[in-house]
Amino acid sequence: MIELRGVSTLAGSFGLDDVSFHLPRGAWGIVLGPAGAGKTTLLETIAGVRQVRRGTVRLRGDDVTTTPPERRGVGMVYQHAFLFPHLGVADNVRYGARDDAYAAEISLRFGVDALHGRPVAALSGGERQVVALARALATRPDVLFLDEAYSALDARRRMRVRHELRTLQREQQITVLQVTHDFADADILGDLALLLEGGRLVQAAAPELLFRHPATAAAAEFLGAENIFAGSVRVQSLAEGDEPATLLFEAGELALAAVGVHPGGTGHAVIRGEDVTLSRERPAHGSARNALAGRVVEVRIHGVLAEVSVEVAGVVLIAVVTAGAARELELVAGASVVATVKATAVHVC
Amino acid sequence: MTRRAHRAATAGAVGGSLVLLALLVLPVGALVLRGGGAGVRLLGSDEALRAALALTAACATAATLAAVLLGTPLAYLLARDRMPAGPIVSALLDLPLVIPHPVAGIALLLAFGSATPAGAALARLGLAVVGSPLGITLAMLFVAAPLYVSGAREAIARVDPRYESVARTLGDSAWRASWRVTRPLAARGLTASAVMMWARAASEFGAIVILTYNPKVASVLSYDRFTAFGLSGALPVAAVLVLLALVPLVALRSLRGDEQAEWGGGQR
Repeated sequence: MIELRGVSTLAGSFGLDDVSFHLPRGAWGIVLGPAGAGKTTLLETIAGVRQVRRGTVRLRGDDVTTTPPERRGVGMVYQHAFLFPHLGVADNVRYGARDDAYAAEISLRFGVDALHGRPVAALSGGERQVVALARALATRPDVLFLDEAYSALDARRRMRVRHELRTLQREQQITVLQVTHDFADADILGDLALLLEGGRLVQAAAPELLFRHPATAAAAEFLGAENIFAGSVRVQSLAEGDEPATLLFEAGELALAAVGVHPGGTGHAVIRGEDVTLSRERPAHGSARNALAGRVVEVRIHGVLAEVSVEVAGVVLIAVVTAGAARELELVAGASVVATVKATAVHVC
Repeated sequence: MTRRAHRAATAGAVGGSLVLLALLVLPVGALVLRGGGAGVRLLGSDEALRAALALTAACATAATLAAVLLGTPLAYLLARDRMPAGPIVSALLDLPLVIPHPVAGIALLLAFGSATPAGAALARLGLAVVGSPLGITLAMLFVAAPLYVSGAREAIARVDPRYESVARTLGDSAWRASWRVTRPLAARGLTASAVMMWARAASEFGAIVILTYNPKVASVLSYDRFTAFGLSGALPVAAVLVLLALVPLVALRSLRGDEQAEWGGGQR
């Protein structure tokens, strides 16, 4: 439904560089990346607002690389809404609609009808975003671009809008590409997650895969991985093609058994905090390949979770455990612990 | 900065501002005080003055309309960086603002005088440039249109192009989006630029006097009265011109005030 092949664009001194991916009809794509990665530029390029320098953009199988935006049948919702301030709320929603009745139905569905009497200038940021969403949906697009489109909504309203939008998207098989900094959106909605960095597509994968197996250390850091170590990788078993092999990752005194695909040489080991198990004594019989004796450096309680920093083999390893477990194990600074990590939880990139 | 130095700097800034304001206001104030009453009375009895004022207003209006029609698309292209060789075009547009206006009149005479191909062609169509309202309008357009284009370009540039992007994804072509969205959002800025241009055109003297001494616009009549009757003859006409110039300037300020009050500077 959305297909990019080797797309490069220029937006000022910045641009997309050789971006390729495919998002099937009715799928929900999530675009992630740090500020300035090119997320908005990507949406604008597919929407036709920005010109393509190289490559092709296909929508519904048709090459639309040079098709103007008004003939692409797409909807675009920006974070700043860009409601037309010289028009009222109802006129904004009706702006591109071919069918006033449908525009009214969308208004009702998203609770915009309650705002019809108010001037645009009097709306809050969140209200503007919902009106902008209704305005885009009123044109019946089958491809929708959302650029932080409901970031200004309070948590309750965001859930309602997200649910309503998901329902409509499934009903009408709308293909959605959404820029968000909210990882919950990626988890709840995403069929495909695209990670951009400096205008390049670093990784395109199912959200779960992206979070567990980031392609680069920078990607792992952006995606919130607690433990990222730089070191060297040795391949210990033979594997063919993309088959995972057993690996040994070494960084100074730290040695970690891992399973993954890596050619060997320099690399990074990424371990998510929730994949680290802590105990006061070395487990007698366990399948985990990594058992690292260490000492607690710091314990930070965040609600029901505790982030425990443990010094092991000259590095600090962060484990995320429940606050109850931290209390039961009497995890305080200076306490001796053993951190265990399964080899499959050590991602080497 | 010490407190004393701060006070001295503030006093210096206020004093400097007052000196400049006095330099700007005193001559005009003296003119209006000495000639304003007589000028207003003269409006009732001096047919030549009334005719000159009417001609000035008509020609300035025609020049402004021409600038709006021809200059707005140009301003749009410049504002959106879609004009080939934009910096060169911008520099060319600024040229009439910096050359002496009698020189502008001479340049127009060279381009549209009756001996030139363009002037002869226009004359054959019954549109003589020299010594006609058309010449006055052309001179006003030449010297004042850059003001409109420059102001319009700024007004359009202040409208975020993403409004148009949204309108285009909602089905508008590029021109339709600029008409339905950018034009209304820039309307006050465009109107203010047109008013400013009209005021500048109405006060033009240097280019007009070279191209068309007769029929006389108000500025030429004021000069004519000065050379024929001295200061006392020119004073009432000059004072009326100053009073009339205040009308568009006051309108301009109220337009800008309304703009800020209505949209509060754009999206929140």
